Amino acid sequence: MKHFLRVFTQFFVFLYCKCLWRGLKLVVRKFTGRCELQRICYNNKPGARRTQKIESSLRYSKNELMQSALSIHPDKVEKTVDDIMALKKINPDTNPQLGISLQASLLQIVGYRNLVAEVEKLRREPYDCENAEHEEMLMKLWKELRPDTPLTSRISKQWCEIGFQGSDPKTDFRGMGLLGLHNLLYFAEHDKSAALQMLQDSLQPKHNEGNKPEWEQKNFDKAIGYSFAIVGINITDLAYSLLVSGALKTHLYNVAPEMPNLQHFQQTFCYLMQEFQRFWIEEDPSDIMEFNRVRSKFHRRILRQLKNPDMALCPHFAASDLHLVNL
Amino acid sequence: MAAAGINKQGTVVTMEPCFRHGRGANGSTVKVLECGVCEDVFSLQGDKVPRLLLCGHTVCHDCLTRLPLHGRAVRCPFDRQVTELGDSGVWGLKKNFALLELLERLQNGATNQSGMSEDALKGMGECIIRCDEDESHTASVYCTVCATHLCGECSQLTHSTRTLAKHRRVPLADKPHEKMLCPQHQVHAIEFVCLEEACQSGPLMCCVCKEYGKHQGHKHALLESEANQIRASILDMAHCIRSFTDEVSEYSRKLVGIVQQIEGGEQIVEDGVGMAHTEHIPGTAESARSCVRAYFSDLHETLCRQEEMALSVVDAHVRERLIWLRQQQEDMTILLSQVSTACLHCEKTLQQDDCRVVLAKQEISCLLETLQKQQHQFTELADHIQLDAGIPVTFTKDNRVHIGPKMEIRVVTLGLDGAGKTTILFKLKQDEFMQPIPTIGFNVETVEYKNLKFTIWDVGGKHKLRPLWKHYYLNTQAVVFVIDSCHRDRLMEAHSELAKLLTEKELRDALLLIFANKQDVPGAVSVEEMTELLSLHKLCCGRSWHIQGCDARSGMGLHEGLDWLSRQLVAAGVLDVA
Repeated sequence: MKHFLRVFTQFFVFLYCKCLWRGLKLVVRKFTGRCELQRICYNNKPGARRTQKIESSLRYSKNELMQSALSIHPDKVEKTVDDIMALKKINPDTNPQLGISLQASLLQIVGYRNLVAEVEKLRREPYDCENAEHEEMLMKLWKELRPDTPLTSRISKQWCEIGFQGSDPKTDFRGMGLLGLHNLLYFAEHDKSAALQMLQDSLQPKHNEGNKPEWEQKNFDKAIGYSFAIVGINITDLAYSLLVSGALKTHLYNVAPEMPNLQHFQQTFCYLMQEFQRFWIEEDPSDIMEFNRVRSKFHRRILRQLKNPDMALCPHFAASDLHLVNL
Repeated sequence: MAAAGINKQGTVVTMEPCFRHGRGANGSTVKVLECGVCEDVFSLQGDKVPRLLLCGHTVCHDCLTRLPLHGRAVRCPFDRQVTELGDSGVWGLKKNFALLELLERLQNGATNQSGMSEDALKGMGECIIRCDEDESHTASVYCTVCATHLCGECSQLTHSTRTLAKHRRVPLADKPHEKMLCPQHQVHAIEFVCLEEACQSGPLMCCVCKEYGKHQGHKHALLESEANQIRASILDMAHCIRSFTDEVSEYSRKLVGIVQQIEGGEQIVEDGVGMAHTEHIPGTAESARSCVRAYFSDLHETLCRQEEMALSVVDAHVRERLIWLRQQQEDMTILLSQVSTACLHCEKTLQQDDCRVVLAKQEISCLLETLQKQQHQFTELADHIQLDAGIPVTFTKDNRVHIGPKMEIRVVTLGLDGAGKTTILFKLKQDEFMQPIPTIGFNVETVEYKNLKFTIWDVGGKHKLRPLWKHYYLNTQAVVFVIDSCHRDRLMEAHSELAKLLTEKELRDALLLIFANKQDVPGAVSVEEMTELLSLHKLCCGRSWHIQGCDARSGMGLHEGLDWLSRQLVAAGVLDVA
């Protein structure tokens, strides 16, 4: 009997997924007189909640226009929205808000897709010593982080001071490519005080809050703080995997009013860096060897936070940085 | 010395006539008896065998065959008497055995004599010069006028007259050298030596040769100075030879000493009181033998101990397993009895009347539920445990026994930052190439390969992390050291890190596998060159190590490295069997 019920449930779910929900949608549509998109836009606050629902609605639509709306060029969004409105026979005059909401959401969706591509391209581009632009960025990073001490040469032990592994930072960029450099530079330029503070902390394994003499005592002989630059590269990897897996959608849809761009990603990175530092201090690992454990725990925590569709990781960004439009 | 030399030469000249022929064509044969026809010497066999004719004359075989035949007879070439020949012709004639015997005796005698006379000559040349007047006397002076060697007595005797008494006689040692005469110009003594390259075969010349003869215009030197020069060089050489001889004898003495040391034996030793007694000194051979014996007895003991230990491990395993199985058996018995009780109960209930059946419903359903639960548990248990009587046994290299299908090995991967440790790890784990980010801390993965289970700890190579490597050494059976082959500048850094690693006490028995990574990059240091550059043979002396070229991108060489590790860890042959 139990077995039969189970099979029956499975069969029902299968049937529902296959065709019943379409019928249900039709019934609801006839009943309320609104199409699904309208219902989503009216029932949900703007942000991730609405955009994610629109995204899944479009993805599972049987109409080709709607499906392709997910991957169109940003310039064509306006026209596509008009097309959708026409297709769904919605009068733009009676529903002026719908067009705007739909356009904003669509821009977010398309923008996210483009951001992933952009980030992937940056990641795939290896650091090139011959490229003057790359070199310049690296030098700038040094100047931002160490304004007082000049770099003696391009290949120098001094790079270790800001947390690279060896005397040539090039080798450390292998996995994340230029993305790591871009992120570090952005962090150093736009969140200078935090970055300098972090660097300071990494050089002296001492917490600025809550002096723990016994911790210090215990670790004094090891004297290994965590290294700013390679932790930055590791956090870049974390942010990258969050982005590619789609977990960052929640955050970016909530933060970016229209198309999320690289800047948003980099701000997220800055936030993750600071948050990780805080987390690291909270966790109070006995030495750097626990880094991977702490990192994966941090990763899980961020993922859990992003499950909440109202979650924005860093709502505290300065308005000037974000160019926020009031949602 | 020079006098002796000349004297020797003279003696040879006088004795020569009686030897010359004998030392001719045939070596040791002496020409005394020759065939009267051809005048060739008879020989003991062959063509020149002497054969006797009827008339008594002896002719050699060769000549006999050449004589004209008169019917079946030949005529003696000396008296023309006729000798009849038999069927076998000349071969039928008798050999002259008396002659042959004589010939043989003469030959032996001649060789003996010549040997003896040469010996005598040598002795004379070295020390004694006979007096020319009386052979039995020994000469002591030399008369420069008569050019004779004389003893004191004979000198008095022969030079007693007034004229002769004036002859200048000098001791033999001061005897003036005889001047050799030029072979071309018999009246002139040789005074010069030609220095031309072309005349080195006959460099001696007199004044006529020098001015008008064949050495005209040639470079030359005085005979005396040249001779002195050669003498000096000979003396030098003699000196050299002496020192050389000394060396050789010293060496041979040493050899003797060493032989003695090796063999050992009785030796006279003086003890503290001054009493000498013989003592047996064991030679190195003996001590080596005892060393081997000690080693093997030690090995034997260790092996015995290891065998016992291994057996005890197996015993413990068997005991544990049996206990568990018995336990299971008991459980099953209990389960069976429970089930049968339940069955009985059901049966009983069946036979009762309707009211009772209805009343018992609760009880029965409860019973059924427990039964179901037990059944469920049972199936779960059966799923988990495969019943297999086999006890798979694997031996490690250090003769420990491992029971179970997989053997676990703890490996630490170390190396400079950016050498490719993490890449190798993930290549082994997932067989995919990815560019990793710098490792902070460590990664740990288990990789199964053949019947081994490697737990690989990949520790970051950053400078600051290197002091922390030591936390990973404990219980590590193998260290994998990764080197970036295309980064020549950092080879020395890698070398110093490796050298530091090898001094660690915890890693004393650990295997060392060196991966020369990035072999695919053009310009990478080859494995041989790397071995040379890092002087690995010296560095890793006395431990099992292996260098393996690899390339984490394609995975080339990685499995060979693991193969090596497993070969080292597991006694030979087991891998294939298992």
